[in-house]
Amino acid sequence: MSLKNKLNRLKPHLSTGNSSEKKAVPSSVETSVEIPYKEQWELEHVSPYYLDKNFCLIREVKYPLDQRHGHYRFRDFLTAMETWNQQSAAHPLSAKGFQAEELFFFDTETTGLGGGTGNTIFLLGYASIEGEELILRQHILPNPGAEVPLYQSFLEKINYRTLVTYNGKAFDWPQVKTRHTLVREHVPRLPSFGHFDLFHAAKRLWKHKLERLKLAVVEKEVLGVERVDDIPGFLAPMIYFDFVENKKPDGMIGILKHNEIDILSLVTLYTHLTFQLCGLDHDSTRMETFEVGRWFAAIGEKDEAEKVLGKLTDGQDVTACQAKLTLAFQHKKEREWDKARNLFVEVVQFGEGRLALDACIELAKIYEHRLKDLESALQYCSQAIIISERTPSFHNLSGDASMEQLQARKERLNRKIAKSPR
Amino acid sequence: MKLKKDLQAILSDIKVNEDFKDNIAAWHTLPKKEAQTVTCPRDLHPLLHEALNQKGIDELYTHQRSAYEATMAGRSIVAVTPTASGKTLCYNLPVLQSILNDPSTRALYMFPTKALAQDQKSEINEIIQAAGMDINSYTYDGDTPANIRQRVRKAGHVVITNPDMLHSGILPHHTKWVSLFENLKFVVIDELHTYRGVFGSHVANVIRRLKRICHYYGSNPVFICTSATIANPLELAENLTEENMVLIDNNGAPSGTKHFVFYNPPIVNKPLNIRRSATLEVRKIAGELLKNKIQTIVFARSRVRVEIILTYLQELVKHELGSKSIMGYRGGYLPTERRKIERGLRSGEIYGVVSTNALELGVDIGQLQVCIMTGYPGTISSAWQQAGRAGRRHGEALVIMVASSSPLDQYIIQNPDYFFNKSPETARINPDNLIILIDHMKCAAYELPFKADEKFSNVGTEELLEYLTDERVLYRNGDKWYWMNDSFPAHNISLRSASQENVIIVDQTDIASVKVIGEMDRFSAMTLLHDEAIYLHQGTQFQVEKLDWDEKKAFVREVDVDYFTDANLAVQLKVLEVDKLQPVNEAEIGYGDVSVRAMATIFKKIKFETHENIGSGPIHLPEEELHTNATWISLNRALSELGAVRLEQGLVGTAHALRSIAPLFVMADPQDIHVIPQVKADHNEKPTIFFYDRYPGGIGLSEKIYSGMTEVLLESKKMIERCQCESGCPSCIGTDAVGDEAKHDSLMILDAFLESSSR
Repeated sequence: MSLKNKLNRLKPHLSTGNSSEKKAVPSSVETSVEIPYKEQWELEHVSPYYLDKNFCLIREVKYPLDQRHGHYRFRDFLTAMETWNQQSAAHPLSAKGFQAEELFFFDTETTGLGGGTGNTIFLLGYASIEGEELILRQHILPNPGAEVPLYQSFLEKINYRTLVTYNGKAFDWPQVKTRHTLVREHVPRLPSFGHFDLFHAAKRLWKHKLERLKLAVVEKEVLGVERVDDIPGFLAPMIYFDFVENKKPDGMIGILKHNEIDILSLVTLYTHLTFQLCGLDHDSTRMETFEVGRWFAAIGEKDEAEKVLGKLTDGQDVTACQAKLTLAFQHKKEREWDKARNLFVEVVQFGEGRLALDACIELAKIYEHRLKDLESALQYCSQAIIISERTPSFHNLSGDASMEQLQARKERLNRKIAKSPR
Repeated sequence: MKLKKDLQAILSDIKVNEDFKDNIAAWHTLPKKEAQTVTCPRDLHPLLHEALNQKGIDELYTHQRSAYEATMAGRSIVAVTPTASGKTLCYNLPVLQSILNDPSTRALYMFPTKALAQDQKSEINEIIQAAGMDINSYTYDGDTPANIRQRVRKAGHVVITNPDMLHSGILPHHTKWVSLFENLKFVVIDELHTYRGVFGSHVANVIRRLKRICHYYGSNPVFICTSATIANPLELAENLTEENMVLIDNNGAPSGTKHFVFYNPPIVNKPLNIRRSATLEVRKIAGELLKNKIQTIVFARSRVRVEIILTYLQELVKHELGSKSIMGYRGGYLPTERRKIERGLRSGEIYGVVSTNALELGVDIGQLQVCIMTGYPGTISSAWQQAGRAGRRHGEALVIMVASSSPLDQYIIQNPDYFFNKSPETARINPDNLIILIDHMKCAAYELPFKADEKFSNVGTEELLEYLTDERVLYRNGDKWYWMNDSFPAHNISLRSASQENVIIVDQTDIASVKVIGEMDRFSAMTLLHDEAIYLHQGTQFQVEKLDWDEKKAFVREVDVDYFTDANLAVQLKVLEVDKLQPVNEAEIGYGDVSVRAMATIFKKIKFETHENIGSGPIHLPEEELHTNATWISLNRALSELGAVRLEQGLVGTAHALRSIAPLFVMADPQDIHVIPQVKADHNEKPTIFFYDRYPGGIGLSEKIYSGMTEVLLESKKMIERCQCESGCPSCIGTDAVGDEAKHDSLMILDAFLESSSR
């Protein structure tokens, strides 16, 4: 029996992973370097890049710096860069010591999800400042097998210091490395870059108000970017497979536009994050300001944290309490017991729930071990127990806040008080 | 107080004991064998010398030295190593030596299970640490924490993994393993004999992919395989790796005298020829041995059996030994638990172990004095593996195999010569099974594009690539084929499941925790998982409440009933193409492609003890079709003297007997090969019996039967003749054949086949 017959007989048992209806597949064996639909491409600022008998396509678009994208103009990015350069506090997103031209905003489109050698990158897009313009370039893989010109052209162009991406640390850049490994004998090495991954920043600042932190959501809810007739990203693989077969640019142009907005939004997002972090955004909500302050506290920039959180402490709302608590912990770490105590006391006074519980426990510790005031320590310890008892969700807390530890603390304090001379 | 008896006393005791001696079907004594050793290789690195010295090794067994020399000379090998023969040095020596000579050297070890990989890591690390070598060996599997994966990829000299992980976790990410693949000098495949059938055919393709990636990065590793005793280790190793191999079978490990006793429980039901339960007999015998503090291992075929025997034995000896001195040992135990048992056995604190075949694989538990098998383990090869657990290097050992009533057990126990003289089963794989091959070609294309002149299998690679291109999975550009799909193919392909679309078995006994307890291929599900079927899972009865055929799910609930169900499957088999035909005088033997159409019709409820039919019902399921390979034998004369009815019943009986015997010739589970009779076969209108592979496309089982037909027929005839029943029983021709003449007629049909096939 011929192989073809056998395959057809066994077809019900073969999973091809492709349930879509079969179309006539045009012969796709290309030998010449003819660019199909060249005129239509040119209208979209796309031109070919030739290498030996192979080619890839590159789209280049220039924007004046006064162009607006969402709530900001691209020129505001220059302000952001200046601000970082004047800042004394360190920060993971700080561009101190960088020129604006040295950052490049980067995003890819791929034929599948997740890592894996066979997940092909078919679009490498990036933008950067050149003089009075923002220049966007997109390197397009016209068909599998053109990866050498794709990466050659890409590596010739990128002469930057730092990548700015959205989740690029976990996905885009490792995938670039994977695909590059497959052509590494034919193209230059991948340079090493610094990397600002804005996904982590967005998570820190807006987790409290956004359920999902996809770039599209952040754009809409935070950056004021509106997409018109956008192609959803999950369709990109299908559209690309279609393009590879029939070569018609239409679908691909949709993906290029989608990728373009992603990259422009990275510029706006970085600008906005900088403004938030450096206190230039006067419309920041108190929650956002708190998250900024907490971030500085977490990375040990205590002066900056104090400055930012200090703006919040005159209120009596939850955010004020959160800010005070954060600052109080920072003072405790610095062994500034009085400052810490005063803030903890305020949290107990105005705060509720977990904030008050934590503050009570900290006060009990400070009074017992630092200020040697056992009575006050006992009083705060008892208050902590009361708070914990009336809140069912606190019953299974662990560590200092667990009921066993609170009771043990109380017993110890009682013993100490009994022993101490009056 | 009665004195404890030693093994010598027990041995002389059972020869005269009334209860025991009458049930002995055979007593075979294997003489002891002295160690054959040679000096360590002269070029062995001083650090390795030191490590061996610390382990008390100053000479090597002959096979260890042969393995070292062949592999260091760049030859791939397969070493046949019985239990406890020091096989790990066959690969650890050359690998460590090469790494010590050149620290950039890398090695990949593949074990069939994660547990074995863990054991081997401890073993190799002991050697490494003994001499303070600067060598990293790591396991890499689903349990490896994310934060050390990077280190394993970059710096692991020896990476220990399993085929599933290689398939879906390493090969599809090969760009992250550049330093491994560029420097890969050795691939170690342990427990080679486990890679057979569908699983082996999958793994052979994983190895094709591995070699393809090695080639891409410029390495060409030496393969080191170790195998238990099977009939064709060299053939299997060469088929699996597609490399020329050197066979190393000069085992130099010593062994003591071994007594092999076949024990057949007495008949309790004469008409049905039912014997006393093997489990009960094993309890009795093991109990007696353990009372005398003789270290004993008991094997049982299922976990439930293990638990039953274990509970009983622990009860029996609790006053004398304390329950901790007899332990269960199963696949699912945690490594720490298993270590504890192994230590207990070596130190003598533990006297008894009851185990599933988990211990067939090369876990080191030391050597015991007695091994008892509850029933024939299914293959000669695993019987020897299990027997290998008993037998110290010095002193005597006893192996007792207690037979059950099944035809295969009864055949083996009544034909001891067959067992002792016959070489063990042949392990078959078919890496070119189209369904398996196509799956792995997808994975391979995902890993690296295919080139026009590339040869992946022995069937037309380019034609298959064109097929995948037509299916829009691949894309051809110039002389290369590229992956062009958004999926991750390895995730959809399991190396261990028979067919792509299996029926999942869902246990909903406890509504609060509904869980999946197993899966079954569609074909078998029709007769075993239909609505109301009683499904046995590891000894527990479940009733199928609903079979959702569209969703391929069977919902079951635990029950306790005194019957089992037996479904009727109307099978139509059509020969599509005859590939081989061997005409003999009055019969013909053929092999080729067939289509099997099966439809479940009705099921019967059958009472356990009496085999009464206590009810029946219809089954509503669509017809299933299977394309596979088959071997058949047809009679040229119609045996008209028998008449139509008796011919049919005779064929049914013959088929049953053949079905029981066939697994003896190919290393397969009984359900992997099916046998059906046809009074008048469609393609030649002759009385015919077909043997077909249960896996779509075939995995080489029926092809093996084609070349060994005479032997299968002959052994089946012997089995029926020796059966003590009068007119057919479950131990010979089964209960499906009706009529008092069925046994006689089956023998007549076999004779007719034999007359012609033996010329």
